[in-house]
Amino acid sequence: MSPSMLSPTQRYAAGALFGMALHQAQIHQTHPLGSTAEDEDPTADRISSGSSSDSVAEDPLLWVHDSSGLLRPIFRFLEIDKNAWTGLEETAASSPATHHIGAFLRLLSEESADTSSEMKDMELALSKSVDVMAQSTEATPPDFERKMEKHREYEQECRQKFSTDIQSKSEVENMQLEIPEGPSCNMISIEQTTNQSGSYIHEKPAEEVMMLSYQRKVTVLYELLSACLADLPEDKKKSKKRRRGYDARHRLALRLLTTWFDINWTKMEAIEIMVACSAMAIVKEEQSKEEETQSPKSSWAKWKRGGIIGAAALTGGTLLAITGGLAAPAIAAGLTALAPTLGTLIPVIGASGFAAAASAAGTVAGSVAVAASFGAAGAGLTGSKMARRTGSVDEFEFKAIGENHNQGRLAVEILVSGFVFSEEDFIEPWEGRHDNLERYALQWESKNLIAVSTAIQDWLTSRVAMELMTRGAMMTVLSTLFAALAWPAALLSVTDLIDSKWAIAVNRSDKAGKLLAEVLLKGLQGQRPVTLVGFSLGARVIFKCLQVLAETEHSAGIVERVVLLGAPIGIKDESWEAARKMVAGRFVNAYSTNDWMLGVAFRASLLTQGLAGIQPINVPGIENVNVTELVEGHSSYLWATQQILEQLELDAYYPVFNSTHVRP
Amino acid sequence: MDASSSQPEFDYLFKLLLIGDSGVGKSSLLLSFTSDTFEDLSPTIGVDFKVKHVTMGGKKLKLAIWDTAGQERFRTLTSSYYRGAQGIIMVYDVTRRETFTNLSDIWGKEIDLYSTNQDCIKMLVGNKVDKESERVVTKKEGIDFAREYGCLFIECSAKTRVNVEQCFEELVLKILETPSLLAEGATGGKKNIFKQKPPEPDASTSGCC
Repeated sequence: MSPSMLSPTQRYAAGALFGMALHQAQIHQTHPLGSTAEDEDPTADRISSGSSSDSVAEDPLLWVHDSSGLLRPIFRFLEIDKNAWTGLEETAASSPATHHIGAFLRLLSEESADTSSEMKDMELALSKSVDVMAQSTEATPPDFERKMEKHREYEQECRQKFSTDIQSKSEVENMQLEIPEGPSCNMISIEQTTNQSGSYIHEKPAEEVMMLSYQRKVTVLYELLSACLADLPEDKKKSKKRRRGYDARHRLALRLLTTWFDINWTKMEAIEIMVACSAMAIVKEEQSKEEETQSPKSSWAKWKRGGIIGAAALTGGTLLAITGGLAAPAIAAGLTALAPTLGTLIPVIGASGFAAAASAAGTVAGSVAVAASFGAAGAGLTGSKMARRTGSVDEFEFKAIGENHNQGRLAVEILVSGFVFSEEDFIEPWEGRHDNLERYALQWESKNLIAVSTAIQDWLTSRVAMELMTRGAMMTVLSTLFAALAWPAALLSVTDLIDSKWAIAVNRSDKAGKLLAEVLLKGLQGQRPVTLVGFSLGARVIFKCLQVLAETEHSAGIVERVVLLGAPIGIKDESWEAARKMVAGRFVNAYSTNDWMLGVAFRASLLTQGLAGIQPINVPGIENVNVTELVEGHSSYLWATQQILEQLELDAYYPVFNSTHVRP
Repeated sequence: MDASSSQPEFDYLFKLLLIGDSGVGKSSLLLSFTSDTFEDLSPTIGVDFKVKHVTMGGKKLKLAIWDTAGQERFRTLTSSYYRGAQGIIMVYDVTRRETFTNLSDIWGKEIDLYSTNQDCIKMLVGNKVDKESERVVTKKEGIDFAREYGCLFIECSAKTRVNVEQCFEELVLKILETPSLLAEGATGGKKNIFKQKPPEPDASTSGCC
């Protein structure tokens, strides 16, 4: 069996491209593509002098640096000669590496003498099976329509309940707030550029990409993903640095590569599922072998006894690490669930070919170990009722949403509501969206949240508020908040009622954030990259979680994307930069300039410091999205979130906010 | 190793590039220069990279030297490394004539095609003079080629270290004499993209939200 479908030269090129993607992704973290004059500016000098500021070895903060443990394991897996590593790392970091991309793509496309026809056949088979898989995941689930219907009903219901918002909206429609916009409206250029889809925003060297066959691209992505997941036994002294599992930064680099390759991300997701399935299959195979050949005290027995698989030693010095507090029965369940899908694949590629593809490059000497870090996070996340562990948070529970559980998804999404009137508001806002992530809603502190949300809503419908609104005074209020002027007395007296409840809820959200960080650090999500989305106080939970992560070492590879909607978080006194670094990919702040309810509830001294939910944040790398048009009032997030998320196209690598509305 | 990296510990940073056929001794030459050793090396894969700090002409210099693979299969790759190099070292093996003729047939054209630097200093290096008995390319031929092509010339041996230092020194001194190259290599401070703030978005991009 051939260990890899690529020749050594092609693997070398693949490693190089991955390195470049990784480095570019890090640059884009603070210099997003298409946001400002971008790419050119910060790096222009470096192009002309052609000399990167320093060699990689001297800058341990770089993702491509050895100490971050992101690139070298990939090289090792691809069996790139050790002597070539420094050259590759340097090349990756010689920013902008964009002019190297073409050369390496060409190297990748070349048919060298060592490309056997057998390899070509494998490539073809692999790409076909990826197509099949992609089709099966793209197919809309049968009850999709019903779900959309349900969501519409939910929206209607909400709208009726909170009709004051709509009224207020219509009343004050023409009174858009004068908010100090500052220089941070970095979304505008983006909205424009995405329309002329292509040209510079993709930054793909089109010419060379054409030379690369589709099959080759798929094969490369497949092998790179295997490399990302593989957990090669290596020199012990270094290995402790690397987190096991699928690093968010790796996923991001792959995401960028797919745009370079001009391959649809759904294909990459299909590849993820396939690798996950094959890894599971290998696990199972190894298990049965183990059972036959080993003494009763084999690791399998341990798995059964413990019920939880930490790490299981397998034959040949292989260490198979299944993380995420994975319960043994869940593997079996996962495999059964996959059986139909696998069934459709195997005829295409052939069972042995499938296994070969699965283990890809690493099987030489039979010493590969896949860090199978997926499959049963359900046991990990939903099984973790953390409530009793920490007295200060009464409720903290993950609820599974959607059908993607135990389907070999390699990415997780955690959704956090923060303005709720009933328990179903933790789940309903997120239902119906169709994507390929394993999704969980976080239900937390429902009692406190419902209390504060209801108090706010009640106050809104009260006479005083109504009167203020009809006079358009609310807008004035919010404006004066920004000007740090006094509050109208009428307003002050009523808000006392909200204040205490709000204070409790804010306090709890901070604690819930810490808990969430703990959960993620423990890897209960199965060491898979996480996308965090939350609105209102839920956004605050996420932000607090990021802050905690920022204080922890080696936690930069956990969170892939973050979307905060209507977030009650101060701007000036919070460590946004640190939080940004914890998110490998896109970090979106969706705000509404007339969400005065948030302003009222949050007010205190904090408004003078800026408030993320109603204005843009001027921090490099944060995408600010103005959703004022979609959000009539704070409670609108309950039903508008889904549309906002759709318009954000989170699966795009670069910042997007597709406006379906005609914007003024 | 990075204790002092926040301070610019050098006055100029130069990018040098080694090219030439497979097996002429590019990597050996580099190894001989950077670490005073000589050993049998396997063919370079893709590109290699080494840094050497030197003081020449009263200036502290940091040389970032890219060593490219001579093998045919990596030929497409080298093209992207010419970009921005201040010095290019063309190496041939004095005991193999084809490595010499290939310089004009292949490598010279590559430089013309891909080098982005008009003033970039080129240097012709005949390696392996320790094998005097097997020599097939005479010094005269080398000098003539260098004159015709307008580049520096030296003969050296990576094995015996004869002229290795001089080879790099001559090239670097020449770069130091060329104002345009000097300007490129000047780095007041470290330009680190992750530490500097991005430019403020200019007025033209804001104002519609």
